[in-house]
Amino acid sequence: MRSVLIVDDDPFILKLIATTLEDVAGFELAQAPDGIQALEVAKLTSPELVFLDLDMPRLDGFAVCRRLREEPRTADATIVMLTAAAGDAVEREAEEAGADLFLTKPFSPLELLRLVDELGGSPAAAGH
Amino acid sequence: MGETVGVEGKREELHSLRAELRDQRREAEEKERQLQRYASDLRDTFKAERAQAEDLRANYVATVRALTNAVEARDAYTGAHADRVASYGLELTRRIDPKLAHNPQVEFGFLLHDVGKVAIPDGILHKADDLREDEQALMRRHPVIGWEIVRGIEFLAEAAQIVRHHHERWDGGGYPDGLAGEAIPLAARIFSVVDTLDAMTTDRPYRPGAPLAQARTEIRGMAGTQFDPAVVDALDAIPDEPLERIRTRSR
Repeated sequence: MRSVLIVDDDPFILKLIATTLEDVAGFELAQAPDGIQALEVAKLTSPELVFLDLDMPRLDGFAVCRRLREEPRTADATIVMLTAAAGDAVEREAEEAGADLFLTKPFSPLELLRLVDELGGSPAAAGH
Repeated sequence: MGETVGVEGKREELHSLRAELRDQRREAEEKERQLQRYASDLRDTFKAERAQAEDLRANYVATVRALTNAVEARDAYTGAHADRVASYGLELTRRIDPKLAHNPQVEFGFLLHDVGKVAIPDGILHKADDLREDEQALMRRHPVIGWEIVRGIEFLAEAAQIVRHHHERWDGGGYPDGLAGEAIPLAARIFSVVDTLDAMTTDRPYRPGAPLAQARTEIRGMAGTQFDPAVVDALDAIPDEPLERIRTRSR
């Protein structure tokens, strides 16, 4: 099954994103509370979309992002970095690590929904 | 005695602290549940809205199909012409401007290009001989008539431009407005190439369809006069296989 991976060390945020995206476009929602587990889960589920918190213990979002890019199953995944701290330097580093998008907390739940929806192949996105 | 009171006091203090902590935790859980409820309602609203948008899109497509069928029902041999032209057109548009190909109005315009022919009398539409001058003048009004039919429909406003300009020529010698070069909308420039491609490669009662290679050569020969050279280049870059698939498929 196609899957979306949500990574955040705050269990509340994890649950909140999962609730928002549950059952929206037929994706399985996988979750991980830290970077190390994120990589393990990613190996099992090959997510197409990853919501990745930046500030996490053990392995931070940058490192996870780089490793996901090195792994063939997730090399082409859409990676969305979530962070409390905005700023050009942080954004540049996220981009260098291979992130596709950068969202500052509080992020918009509608934006998350749209990302999942687009990937799920709405008629417009699927083309003809 | 005083010590006992001290211990009792500490115990009470601890007790009330615990109670306070419990209350705070309960409050936090309540807020969390409330926020989760917001999230799930938002998700359900999003899904409902998406379903409505899909319904609307399906209705648009059905409406365009109905209009297209109204034109083709009168002209047996054109049959799947609009369908094929739309497929060729989208194939070509994707290679020239992928974003444009995603705009559903482009496909609608391709499908509806001849909708103005509903106003052309059977005697002229089906005439086997060459048209008289007055008949030809009437025939040449079909792009404007078609444009008048669809331009008032908001979801077809851009498609109407293709309908109006699908007989313009790159060198300005076309109709109805005699537009030249890039003044002709890109989708209309693409359309006129694939319209010719389909006309050449389709079997007619009086002649078999030309092979694709021959059609390509003839179209190449009209680059810069009838057709936008860049569009012809893009057609040349498409391998035979996807074009043959469109040509030979049944409706």
